[in-house]
Amino acid sequence: MSAREAILNAVRGALGPRTPDPAALRREADALLEELPAIRPGLLADDLVEAFIARLLTPKVAATAERIADAAELPAAVARYLEARALPAAIALQPAAVLQALDWSGFELHDRVAPDETLAVGFARWGIAETGSLVFHSDAETPILANFLPLHHLVMVRADKVLAYLDDYAAAIAGARLPRNVNIITGASGTTDIEGSLVLGAHGPRYLHVVIVGEATGGG
Amino acid sequence: MEEATLSFKARAERALANPTLKIAIDRTTGTAERKRAVAMSQFPQFEAARERGKRIKDHVIAHLDHYLLEFERNAIASGAKVYWAATADEASQIVVRLCKEAGAKRVTRVKSMLGEEIGLPHALDEAGIERVETDLAEHIVQLGGDRPSHIVWPSMHRTREQVSEMFKRLHRVPHREETIEAMVDSARRELRDKFLSADVAISGANFLLADTGATCTVTNEGNAELTTTPPRVHIVTAGIEKLVPSMGHAIAMLRLLVRSATGADVTQYTTFHCGPKQAGDRDGPEEFHIVLVDNGRTRMLREGMQEMLRCIRCGACMNHCVVFRQLGGHVYGGTYPGPMGAVLTPVFDGLAQSRDLPHACTMNGKCQEVCPVAIPLPTLLRGWRDRSWREGLEPTAVRFGLGLHTFVASRPRLYRLGTAIAVRMMRLFSRGGVVRGLPGLGAWTAHREFPAPARRTFMEMLKDQENAR
Repeated sequence: MSAREAILNAVRGALGPRTPDPAALRREADALLEELPAIRPGLLADDLVEAFIARLLTPKVAATAERIADAAELPAAVARYLEARALPAAIALQPAAVLQALDWSGFELHDRVAPDETLAVGFARWGIAETGSLVFHSDAETPILANFLPLHHLVMVRADKVLAYLDDYAAAIAGARLPRNVNIITGASGTTDIEGSLVLGAHGPRYLHVVIVGEATGGG
Repeated sequence: MEEATLSFKARAERALANPTLKIAIDRTTGTAERKRAVAMSQFPQFEAARERGKRIKDHVIAHLDHYLLEFERNAIASGAKVYWAATADEASQIVVRLCKEAGAKRVTRVKSMLGEEIGLPHALDEAGIERVETDLAEHIVQLGGDRPSHIVWPSMHRTREQVSEMFKRLHRVPHREETIEAMVDSARRELRDKFLSADVAISGANFLLADTGATCTVTNEGNAELTTTPPRVHIVTAGIEKLVPSMGHAIAMLRLLVRSATGADVTQYTTFHCGPKQAGDRDGPEEFHIVLVDNGRTRMLREGMQEMLRCIRCGACMNHCVVFRQLGGHVYGGTYPGPMGAVLTPVFDGLAQSRDLPHACTMNGKCQEVCPVAIPLPTLLRGWRDRSWREGLEPTAVRFGLGLHTFVASRPRLYRLGTAIAVRMMRLFSRGGVVRGLPGLGAWTAHREFPAPARRTFMEMLKDQENAR
């Protein structure tokens, strides 16, 4: 008997005779999530983008954030970030069409992120107000390593893509094929492995800066 | 290793005599307890969320065969290969075989308690495959050549001073400044090139999503994704109890897990892995393997311990355990320490080997109180005590003592005579109304004292009153 059969037989033996109807089980499982809206943590503001930014700025998340009206303003925002920290204008730019289409004159760009990359600019598909999280899907425009190798990670996200809760993200992609990786990123990398005290910049980025583009309504 | 051959009592004595260990334990568990308390105060819905989490896990366990098959079907459809392992040995042999088939010289590993449970580090070392632990704590454990002592902070038995000394001795470009920041930086430098040059990545899973065949890991350092992205092969090992119906259910469980573990609302990185590299992807492994491990879990289901299968490995029970906080994790002798470990280790190692663990508990109930899925840990521990008695595993002195007690307590006259003598004897040893030592009970009275008993027993006084009427 294969291990597979042995395990399934052992489970069935322990659970006793049942005739599980997949549709009924699905309904039962869905019902377990119905009351969730009442038992989720509250948001920090009524406005979703404000709640998202407020969460990003909490000490627990420890990110920085700014708003711009239009994606065309992103290169200027990146330039300000670099200047404030006296960093060179050589950046890794995620190969996303929405970023590549912008005017990056004055920058030295590369799309492969080096192991000791100083700064990478990326594009997140969604923001989550509940936790101050950014959501990335691996694909032709999104190398996963670009989210983890740089020391500074600057991420653009559209205001109309800020969702209230993590569950809203799950609902937004329900039924679609998952990408190889979904990265839900909340703040810079950190560790509490030495005596429980939090230190940022473990193996991933030490700094996370989020740039929110446009308005939540009106298709920014 | 030598520690494994010592008895629980000897290990406990050794731990109690180690002053650095107590400092290290207090620093981490103290911080964990405080942070969790703050997180709870900011999430008043926790109690309701906990009830929900418990029901989600119970639902999955009640239909485990259905969810295992649904997960397997969807994982295969996503391009993953799925393996089943009944025992720890089978599981680690599957992983070693996959590594050899991949021609692996170097594997990078993301911390996984299941990996520890199935003895994977040892199996890889034996197979002559270079194993690089990428989680900071596991890296410290690997450098120190010892074992994890906590399921969330595996190197919590080390003080920062000890870590500093080790890094300076063993890192290529060690830190100079004596700060934790500088030490973390030193590890970042040390491991950077190893992430990118590994042949195989091995990780665990916090959740398995039945409806997509995806696995979910939650981490803070960023080492997991740096580990699982560059190599050509990614292997996941996971216990069969890790299933949830869907991503929505995983999210509901995450709200409980992270707050209970570290006091954060969510970990820095929550990643869902679904199959190997897809067409057009810029990076990712070409092969994605998932090993589903039983190793005693179906036995727990059969033997009335199904509630333990709810455990999501947050570590809150040990952070709040008065025994763990005195002794640390190594004393427990198994992969999992603290209250959850005392329930699980007898399943893996046999009760005869580990009957001391269920006894090393004050039954104060704190573990059950903080458990995010409301596992009745004290009840399960009492179950093991019961079984140890029934199977005749209790030592002769205990069996004789309890037998004597039963004999006397079920004979009221004898019992009254015995207690009348006992209170008078005990008064002989009291000084100033306090008993500070009793012959034959030195170990107990060394740390305890109690007030001298009354001159006469309750029954004697009651009888006097009745006679006087």
